[in-house]
Amino acid sequence: MIELSHVSKHFGEEAAVDDISLRVAKGKFCALVGTSGCGKSTTLRMINRLIEHSAGDILLDGQAIQSYDPVKLRRRIGYVIQSTGLFPHWTVARNIGLVPRLLKWPRDEVTARVEELMGMLGLPIEEFAHKYPHQLSGGQAQRVGVARALAANPDILLMDEPFGALDPITREKLQDEMVKLQARLHKTVVFVTHDMDEALKLADHLVVMRNGRIVQQGSPLALLQHPEDPFVDSLLGGLERGLKQAALTRVKDHMTSLGQSLPAQSRIPADYSLRQALSMMLRDHCDRLTVVDQQDMPIGELSLRKIVKEAQLDKVSARDAY
Amino acid sequence: MLISRRIEPSSNANHGWALPLIWGVLLAAAVLGMPYLESVFRWLEPDARQVIYRRAEFSTLLGRHLLVVGVAAAVTILVGVLAGIAVTRKRGQDFLPLVGQLASLGQTFPPVAVLALAVPTLGFGTLPIIVALMLYGLLPIVRNTLAGLQGVSTDIKQAALAMGMTPWQVLHRVELPLAAPVILAGVRTSVTINIATAALGATVGASNLGDPIIAGIVNGNMAYVVQGALLIALLALTVDSLFDAYQQTLRSRLSAS
Amino acid sequence: MPLTDALPIAKLNQRTWHPNAVLLSLSLVMLAVIWLLNPVSVAPNRIVPGTSYHLLDAVGWFGALLISLLISALVALALLPTRANYRAMLALVIVMLLLMPFGLMVASHWLVDPGLPQARLSIGAASWSLLFILLLCLVELRLRLGLSRLATTLLLSCVGVVWWLSASLWLQNMALVQEFQAREQQFWRATLQHIQLVSMAVGVSVVAGLLLAMLMRRYAKLQKIAFSLLNFLQTIPSIALFGLLLAPLAWVAANIPFLAQLGVSGIGTTPALIALIAYSLLPMVRNTYIALEEVSSDTLEAAKAMGMRSSQRFWQVRFPLALPVLLEGVRVTTVQAVGLTAVAALIGAGGLGTFIFQGLGQAAMDMVLLGAIPILLLALVVDASLGALADALRPGGHE
Repeated sequence: MIELSHVSKHFGEEAAVDDISLRVAKGKFCALVGTSGCGKSTTLRMINRLIEHSAGDILLDGQAIQSYDPVKLRRRIGYVIQSTGLFPHWTVARNIGLVPRLLKWPRDEVTARVEELMGMLGLPIEEFAHKYPHQLSGGQAQRVGVARALAANPDILLMDEPFGALDPITREKLQDEMVKLQARLHKTVVFVTHDMDEALKLADHLVVMRNGRIVQQGSPLALLQHPEDPFVDSLLGGLERGLKQAALTRVKDHMTSLGQSLPAQSRIPADYSLRQALSMMLRDHCDRLTVVDQQDMPIGELSLRKIVKEAQLDKVSARDAY
Repeated sequence: MLISRRIEPSSNANHGWALPLIWGVLLAAAVLGMPYLESVFRWLEPDARQVIYRRAEFSTLLGRHLLVVGVAAAVTILVGVLAGIAVTRKRGQDFLPLVGQLASLGQTFPPVAVLALAVPTLGFGTLPIIVALMLYGLLPIVRNTLAGLQGVSTDIKQAALAMGMTPWQVLHRVELPLAAPVILAGVRTSVTINIATAALGATVGASNLGDPIIAGIVNGNMAYVVQGALLIALLALTVDSLFDAYQQTLRSRLSAS
Repeated sequence: MPLTDALPIAKLNQRTWHPNAVLLSLSLVMLAVIWLLNPVSVAPNRIVPGTSYHLLDAVGWFGALLISLLISALVALALLPTRANYRAMLALVIVMLLLMPFGLMVASHWLVDPGLPQARLSIGAASWSLLFILLLCLVELRLRLGLSRLATTLLLSCVGVVWWLSASLWLQNMALVQEFQAREQQFWRATLQHIQLVSMAVGVSVVAGLLLAMLMRRYAKLQKIAFSLLNFLQTIPSIALFGLLLAPLAWVAANIPFLAQLGVSGIGTTPALIALIAYSLLPMVRNTYIALEEVSSDTLEAAKAMGMRSSQRFWQVRFPLALPVLLEGVRVTTVQAVGLTAVAALIGAGGLGTFIFQGLGQAAMDMVLLGAIPILLLALVVDASLGALADALRPGGHE
C-alpha cells in the first residue's frame, strides 16, 4: 500500500508538487492524469526516491520511505518509463534479468524468471532473447521494459507514460494486455499519463493533477458523474463524458430479464459496454437489444430507456468498489 | 529574423569581438615592440652574441606567414566547399562515397609527412609549403561541408522545393545558410592547424615566423625560440578568437530565428 | 499557365545504363598521367637532382602498351558496372599495383648506368600519381563491393609484401632502397623510438584524461578552467611548444642534478614527451568527458530506478556505453601523436622525424621519404586498428 500525505516538492522557489495526499490500496491501479508539467511525474518519482520530497510523508506499507535504503527500496519497486530506458549494450534477456541479478538470485533462477516473463509478455525466447534494444520495435521494446520492471516480482509498479510514444494500435494492444496482466498479478500500480482514455480504461482510482495540486480524485465513474471543476470536465471530454461513462459500464449490469414481448433482432454479448450497445442501436435503428451469453443464448434484454434513465443513478459497478 | 539580425550583433558582438581585438593588439605590439625588449631577452640568454632575431623584420615574417596561410586558405575554402557542394548534388553523387572516405581518411595524414612529401616534387621554398597546407587544410573543409549539407533536414529541403524554389535557390538560400556554422567550424580547424603547420615551412626554406624558432633550436638560442613561439601563438589566438566570435554571431542568428 | 505545363514530361527512355563515373574518370586521369608526366628520374648520386624520363624511355613500347591496355580495360569495365565487373576491376587494380615494382625494375635496368655505383632511380610524379589513383580506385571498389576492412587490409598487405620482396631483391638501384640500406639499423631504431614515444604519450594521456574527465564531472569549475587551458595549449603550434619547453627544462637540468640524472634535459626525450602529452590531453579529455556525459539520462535514470548503486551504474552502464566514443578519442589522439612525434625530432627526441629533417637539411629527398612514408603508414595502421577495435566493442552493432 502506498500513502502520500501532504507531500510537497520544491525546486528552489517553485513548488512542483504542492501538498498532495492520496492512498493507493494494495493491488489497486491508480492513474495520475494531467497536462505536462503538472507534477505527476515528479509525484511518481518521489515514490521510488529518484526525487526526494521536501515536505509531508510518503508511506510504503505504513512505513516512511526515508527509513528504507533507497537502493533496496528501488529493487522492490518496478519502474517503466516512456523511452524504455533499456540498456543499449545489453541483450533483451540480460536487460530483463537485471534486478534479479542485482538481488543475487542464483543464475538458473534468473534464467527461469526471464523466460517466464518473456512468455508472459508475448516475446518468443528464441526470437528475442539475444536481440539488442535497438533491434526492437517500439512496442516490443516497451514489453521488454515492462518485463524488466516485473522481473524481481515487486509488489509495486510505477509507470511513467509507458505507452506515450507508441502508435495508437500498438498502444491499445499493450493497454489491453496491461488490463489482463493486472487482473492476474494484482500489483499496486501508479501510472502517469496525459491520455484520459488510457487512464479511464486502466485505472481503479483516478487522480487529476494541475499545477502541482490534486484537483479531484476518485473512481473513474465518480469523476465522470461529478466532475468538480471545469478543468476536470474538459479533461474528461466535456460533452463526450456521457459516452465515456457508458464505455465503462457493462451491458450485463443493466440488462433486464427477458420480457414477454418478442425478443429484439439485434444481439449483444453481456460483457460489452453500454457505449457499444448505444452504437449498435444507432446502427440498427432500434431501441432494444437482446443480451446474449458466451454461447449466444439470450439471457436478457437492454432498452434505450433503461440506459438513459438508469445509467446516471447507478453507482454500483465492478470497478467502483474501491 | 530580420529584426533579430539587427539587434543580435550589437548585443552579442561587443562581448564576442573584444577578445580577437585584444589578441590582435597584443600581436601588433609584440611585432613592433620586440626589438625594444632586448634587455628582457638578454636576461634569458646572457651569453648569446645576439638576443633579438635580426635576419628579417618581424613584421616581414608575420606578413609572409599570413600570406602563405591566406593563399592556402583561400584556395582550400574555394575548392573544398565547391567539392562538397558538387558531390552532394544529384549529378555528382557518384563521387560522394569516395570523397567522404577520403575526407575522413585524410585526417590521419600527419602534416609533417604531407609537407615532407610535397618537397621532393616541388622543391624548396614557399611553394611546397603552400601546397602542403592546401592538401592538409582541404580535408577538414570538405568533411565539414559534407556534414553541414547532409545535416540539413530533408523535410526543409523538400519544403523549399515545394514552395517552388529552383535547386540553385534551395542551395544558396536554404542549404548553405543552414550549413554555414558547420562549414565555418571546418574552416576554423583548417586555418588554425595551418598557422601552426606553416611554421614547419621554415625547415623547407620558406621564410616565416617559424624561422626564429628553427634558428633558435639549431643555434641553441632560447630567446629566438621564445620570440617566434610568442608571435605564432598570438597569431593563432587572434585568428582563432576571430573565428570564435564570428561563429558566435552566426549561431545566435540561427538560434534567434 | 495551365498546371499541366508545369508537369515534367514523362521520360519514356528511362536511362538504365549507368556507368560508374568515379572509376571512369579515375582511369581516364590515370591514362593522361602516365603519358603526360614522367614516371621515373635518374640521378648520378645522392645530391644532384635527377633527369626525368618519359614512360616510353622507362619501360619501352611494350611496357607502355601493356599499362595503357590495362587501364583501358578498367575504362571498359567501368562502363558496365555489374558486380562481376567490379570484381574484375578489383583484380585489375591489384595486378597493376603488383606490376608497379616490376616496371621500376625494367626502368632501372635500362636507365641506370651499372658503371656508376652511386647512380640511383627515383620515383617520379607519374608513378606517385598512379599509385595514389590506384588506391583511390581501391577505396571506391571497396565501397561498391562492400568489402570489409579486414579483406582490404589483407589485400594491401599482400601487395606490400610483394613490394618489399622486390625492393629488397631486385631494386637495389632505387634511391629509397639505397637510403634504407645505408641506414637500416638506424631506421629500425628510429621506428621503435617513434612507437615508444607515441605509446608513452598516449598511455599517460589516456590515464590522465580519464582521471581529469571524471574530476571534471564532479567539479564544474575545474571543467571550465581545464578546458580553456587545454584549448589554449592546442592553439600554440607544436613546433613552438617544443621550442618553449627547451628553456625551462634546460634550466631544471642545470640546477637540479637529481632530475638531470633521471634524464631530464633541455633537448631530447623529456621536452618532447611533455609537449606530446600536453597536446594529447585535449582530444583525450574532451572525448572522454563528452563520452561519459552524453550517455542517455533516461538510461541512467532507469539504472537508478532499478536499484543499481552508483558504482554499478558507472561500471555497468555509463562506462561501457561511453567506451566507443572514448576509443574514438584514443584513436584521434594516437594519430595526432604519430604526426607530432615527427616534429619532436627537431629538438633531438629521435624517431622517424629525424630522417625528414636530416633529409631536408641535406637536400636528400629520398631520405625525407624514408621518414615520411613510414610515418604515414604508421598513422594509417593506428587509425585502422583502433577503428576496428572500436567497432568490435560496439555491443550488438549498436548504431
